[in-house]
Amino acid sequence: MIETATPSVEAIQNSLFESYHLGAAYDEMFDGAFHPRPHYQSLCRLLTGLSPHEFRRRKAMTDLSMLQDGVGFTVYRQEEGIERVWPMDPVPRIIPAQEWQRIERGLVQRLTTLNLFLKDVYNEQHILRDRVVDPQLIYDGGYFRREFMGAKVPRDIYIHICGTDLVRDSQGQYLVLEDNGRTPSGVSYMLQNRQVLKRVFPQIFESYDVRATEDYPAALLDLLKYIAPAGRADPTIVLLSPGIYNSAYFEHTFLAQRMGIELVEGRDLLVDQNRVYMRTTRGFERVDVIYRRIDDDFLDPLTFRPDSSLGVPGLVNAYRAGEVALANSIGTGIADDKGIYPFVPDMIRYYLREDPILPNVETYRPLVSSHLSHVLANLDKLVVKTVNESGGYGMLIGPASTASQRAEFRELVRAKPRDYIAQPTIQLSQHPTFVEDHLEGRHVDLRPFILCGEKITVVPGALTRVALPKGSLVVNSSQGGGSKDTWVLAK
Amino acid sequence: MLSRVADALFWMSRYLERAEHVARLLDICFLLELDLRGVMAGPHELHWTSLAAILQQPVSATADNASTPQALISRWFTFALDNPTSIMSCISRARYNARSIRGTINSAMWKELNKLYWQLADPEFCGRVRESPHEFYEAVECGSDLFQGVCDTTLNHDEGWQFIQLGKFLERADKTLRIIDIQYHLLHEMTDPADLSLSNLQWASVLRSCRAYEAYQRFYVGRVEREHVIEFLLLHPSFPRSVHFCLEAAARSLAAIEGPVPGRGLSKVDRILGQVLSDLKFVELDQILKNDLHTFLGNVLERCAQVTRAVQEQYSLH
Repeated sequence: MIETATPSVEAIQNSLFESYHLGAAYDEMFDGAFHPRPHYQSLCRLLTGLSPHEFRRRKAMTDLSMLQDGVGFTVYRQEEGIERVWPMDPVPRIIPAQEWQRIERGLVQRLTTLNLFLKDVYNEQHILRDRVVDPQLIYDGGYFRREFMGAKVPRDIYIHICGTDLVRDSQGQYLVLEDNGRTPSGVSYMLQNRQVLKRVFPQIFESYDVRATEDYPAALLDLLKYIAPAGRADPTIVLLSPGIYNSAYFEHTFLAQRMGIELVEGRDLLVDQNRVYMRTTRGFERVDVIYRRIDDDFLDPLTFRPDSSLGVPGLVNAYRAGEVALANSIGTGIADDKGIYPFVPDMIRYYLREDPILPNVETYRPLVSSHLSHVLANLDKLVVKTVNESGGYGMLIGPASTASQRAEFRELVRAKPRDYIAQPTIQLSQHPTFVEDHLEGRHVDLRPFILCGEKITVVPGALTRVALPKGSLVVNSSQGGGSKDTWVLAK
Repeated sequence: MLSRVADALFWMSRYLERAEHVARLLDICFLLELDLRGVMAGPHELHWTSLAAILQQPVSATADNASTPQALISRWFTFALDNPTSIMSCISRARYNARSIRGTINSAMWKELNKLYWQLADPEFCGRVRESPHEFYEAVECGSDLFQGVCDTTLNHDEGWQFIQLGKFLERADKTLRIIDIQYHLLHEMTDPADLSLSNLQWASVLRSCRAYEAYQRFYVGRVEREHVIEFLLLHPSFPRSVHFCLEAAARSLAAIEGPVPGRGLSKVDRILGQVLSDLKFVELDQILKNDLHTFLGNVLERCAQVTRAVQEQYSLH
């Protein structure tokens, strides 16, 4: 018989949770009185009953599994890329069904809006004329593609695949930290984590109804077929990767394999008369849809960076001519530009006449003089971000910064106010995480993945990234982050 | 299939097969060493030098200040990354190729190759090679077996699989030819009855280097004899490691890759392989030995190399 009683606070504190602390941050598992929240009760009971030895064994199995499956990413130091395995913490993060429903609705609302915004910005520009967004902000945006004005994109979808980062504040409220609408990655880790956890820790699934995430590759494939050029009944779909040295290469191979499509590099493709072909052992074969994992800048040396050897000369014209489809489209970076991000709630009201379901993090724009003075006076309390950087680079975390770092950012922000935003330091929620031989709270975020094809769907799961160093608020894999399997409950 | 992918499949397979051969040759050398002690006084350098000759890779002495030639050679062929033929180099290259086509091979294949790579990259495991060389070299052989098993039982036997077969069999034929060539050269002068037990040991090791010892025993049911060994390894039609068998398998894979094209004549590769196969099918061993085995083997080796070049050309692999 399965024991169902809630473990007492004493029992919890005599277990792996011995040195677990509740701080200012919202704790995913426990309330303020150290009682497990309802949806974490079974998991907490199971963890309480485990010996450190047993848990270490499971953790070792997890690590070995990740290593053998080659679930790596590449970090760059100077010239050389180093292969690393992304550590997965075996304690899953759990999201109750109702909470998820709200997240899901919020994400659908947001992606619907971003796609309307992109269509508008690259065509009639109503939103700029109505001054909801300052046109100058758009034209100064590093990811705005002037070359793409007026282009018609298949089915009017710009962002097909989106990974939106959510965090929880100290009250547990979900906030949107950023949208990733260019070439978001991480979904393979979401799928891989589940696969590994099922193998090494089957028992913990027993008292939960966890929604499966397996369907993602099939849904992505449907989407890619949906955007194929008209008249191509059985389209050839490929995934375009920068190659083996890219940090997300594991994901590229993983998705290509799961979808059964060819993984190609720029040198495998060529464009002739606006049609795209790949070089095969039987000659040239026509390509209809490209799931590209190369940034705009490197996509086509004829249109963008001429020094790029990763892309395909002529690809952009082929796309404009409607002979090939791209996912995501070109120029989507203007929608996830951090300088545009503060306007997304207004966009939701403008295009949908709805209130935003998921709020933004409060954001200061140094372009506004009152914001600038506030930012400069509070650099030690704020997080300052470069608008076009990702991966945790180009950031100042005020409370953890030195005086010289603050001085440096003070100059940078003054010199180029458009390139920076500042936000209050959010105490990201914390989650029990295995450290050495016991559990400690570590900060986490949440990246769900949203697909936009015939309709918008959110995979019932997400990537939870966890900042492994004690007290760290940076969850990026390149900065010492790990990940967790993320469970969305069926009821 | 993408040309780049076909190329990576071909070389992934070749490098893994090569690593397996190098590991086995080293393993056999260590074992032979032990046997030789009872037969003649040391030092026994001959079989270590022949190893370098088979692998066509001069030992770079500067790289290492090992005490004995044995330690020097075994380290050079096991770990040296500046030696393109070392086990480590071969496994790294096989894995590099596999990594570049992870979307094409399946995850089980990748996992086996990756497991092997990480096992060999583990300093603790490598440290044990001194005390128990066999454990180390067997791990390589075992990894290769597992990879091939998974490949054959789970990968669709389509064009890609054929490129894997092609790489594997061309490499295997190449190594078998070189083993016969070098060992024959070293051992053919041992005709003195006093050398008999030594010669027996050596020829049995040749069989073991080709994983043919037991198959040979079952076929001939007798003592290990030089002519029989050569015949078995070179000409036997159904032993899966004989040169004859390997090249026939390579020809089958090539035919499958080319596919049926009505009215098309023979390609360059077809011709080269066809000629060499008819030699292996119809030649008599006595005749080869009477003429010159070395020339015969050299000729086959050269044509294997031509096949590789022609395949690269035809499918624009490079």
